Amino acid sequence: MIVLAVALDLLREARSRRWVLALLAAATLLVVALALGLRFEVVDGALAATRLFGGDLGTDVRAVDVALRPLFAATAYVVFYGGLAFGVVATADFAPTLLSPGRIEALLALPVRRWQLLAGTFVGVELLVLGGAAYGGAAVTAVLWLKTGVVNPGPVAAAAVACVAFAPVYAAMLATAVLARSAALSAGAGLALLLGGIVAGARGVLVELFEPGAGRAAFLAVTAVLPRLSALGNLAPAVAEGRPLAAGHAAALAAGTLAFAVALLALGVDRLERKDF
Amino acid sequence: MRGLRTPLVVAALFLGLGVLLAWLAEGGPRAPRAPEPEFPRRLREPELARLSERRTLAVPGAAEAGGEAPAAVDPFLAALTRDPAEPLLVLEANALRHSRIGELFVECLARGRGERNPIDEVRREAGIDPLKDVDRVAFSHRGVVVSGFFQRARLERVEAEARVARRGADGRVYAPRAPEEGGIALGTWRRDLVVVGETGFVEETLDRLAHPDPEVRPVLPEHLTYGEAYGVVPGSALQGLFRGDQAELGRRLAAVASRIEIHADAMRDVAVVARVTGEDADGLDDLGKAFGAALAVGRLQAAARGDGTLAELLEHARVARGGPGFSLELALPVEVVERWFEGCGEAAVLPGADAPAPPP
Repeated sequence: MIVLAVALDLLREARSRRWVLALLAAATLLVVALALGLRFEVVDGALAATRLFGGDLGTDVRAVDVALRPLFAATAYVVFYGGLAFGVVATADFAPTLLSPGRIEALLALPVRRWQLLAGTFVGVELLVLGGAAYGGAAVTAVLWLKTGVVNPGPVAAAAVACVAFAPVYAAMLATAVLARSAALSAGAGLALLLGGIVAGARGVLVELFEPGAGRAAFLAVTAVLPRLSALGNLAPAVAEGRPLAAGHAAALAAGTLAFAVALLALGVDRLERKDF
Repeated sequence: MRGLRTPLVVAALFLGLGVLLAWLAEGGPRAPRAPEPEFPRRLREPELARLSERRTLAVPGAAEAGGEAPAAVDPFLAALTRDPAEPLLVLEANALRHSRIGELFVECLARGRGERNPIDEVRREAGIDPLKDVDRVAFSHRGVVVSGFFQRARLERVEAEARVARRGADGRVYAPRAPEEGGIALGTWRRDLVVVGETGFVEETLDRLAHPDPEVRPVLPEHLTYGEAYGVVPGSALQGLFRGDQAELGRRLAAVASRIEIHADAMRDVAVVARVTGEDADGLDDLGKAFGAALAVGRLQAAARGDGTLAELLEHARVARGGPGFSLELALPVEVVERWFEGCGEAAVLPGADAPAPPP
């Protein structure tokens, strides 16, 4: 309950921040531009023409849900990676602000445990990223639904997947902020883990670039302890394109990613518990 | 000694769990993206080479004329009808034999239990191996033209039962002895072509080979001979294929489409392109949209009633616009074709024969 209270407090603070509001406004503008500029000619469920700001995007006539699959898949990718980037940029200074002199002492004076403070911040940020990604995904889905009559779950699934993928990223940012109270360092750690997670998700392909030997072994060892973020990011476009999805594979990917997040969060808690304020 | 710190233990445990789960997920099944079928839209390199190799019939006087007319033409194409109103469909039989669908078909025939293999029948009766000796087959309303290697063809029985006449330098006509009773005539040109149809059709075909005229525009010019099956039909010839709810679409097709070129690739996926052209550009545009809509509705209806095969067939269907007219494109991925042939021939039983005993 206390964790949730801290999370809600963080969301209230996010609402008052211009930077977060500016990012949401930018996403809204993109969706509005898409809604105004994109024109579909749909005849009995077939997409007869697509125009973006008057320019013809294609002349093929085919079933609208099939024709729009690449668009939904691309939207799912944008929502996933955009959601992660939005999360890193929008939330980089939450933890450093929380730990700033004066404020942390005031918070610790309350009947709140240190781990609860960190966990509440983590949950609040996760909710913020989920909300942001879901807003973008749902808005694009709604625009395409109104224009074509087709509802595709891909962009919304991408928002949920982005929220899972952001968990270890923000846990790393939080742990870094506990170590060194710097928004830039925190964002840097998040971006580094994000890039590492993208590489780790494709390690099965990338490992072929290494000759057998020490380099290959080092690559496999380093990427083994990173969450497979790009592999996770491929799930939502698969949903959007109607490709078969192995539930066990998806569940293992998501659970593994969350386990990495808990491990990093626990490291942050350990550092915070041992810190003198 | 200080005790273990709980958060560090939790971190280590969850890191191990994360590594384990990520490793398990890596070993999981992948959902590979099926490649989009490749549609036959123009002559490709192997077809250009094939086309050049097939020009074996010298055109008398072409070299002296010095014009743009070729010195030699493909005898098979030269033999085909010149009537644009007549539907014409050519199968590249030898290529189809070596395509995936051809392999499946031959395997299916060979597996048929209790039935005589029709390919063996032809080998035995005619001395021709349909799987090796037949190169191309052209179907039209009036008859069939077959190209290939017919040196071993057994024509003795036909000669004994027919009235044989020479036609041109290299042609022979095997006509029924009593022409007033009708019947099918057979024509041969060298040992390369066989023509089957009514006597008039066979004679006209052999005459075109005896006096090839490259100046006359063929119904099926060389540049349209791509794919494993190709042909030309007027829209009215396909009107009968549209029935029930789609009858109106057939009527509009007959009214607007003066010419439909058909090309099919079948080496792996089966991909069909039907290029529809006509004089009325606006009418063709509307017809293209109507076809697109019909395909979309058909796919939804097929999915709704659980007809997965038809839904899969229409999955890759589209109407491609650009240039005069439009192209209707349909594709069947090879996986779907293979599923169709699964178990083929195994349950084949001659009518009246006992059903095969169930396996122990």
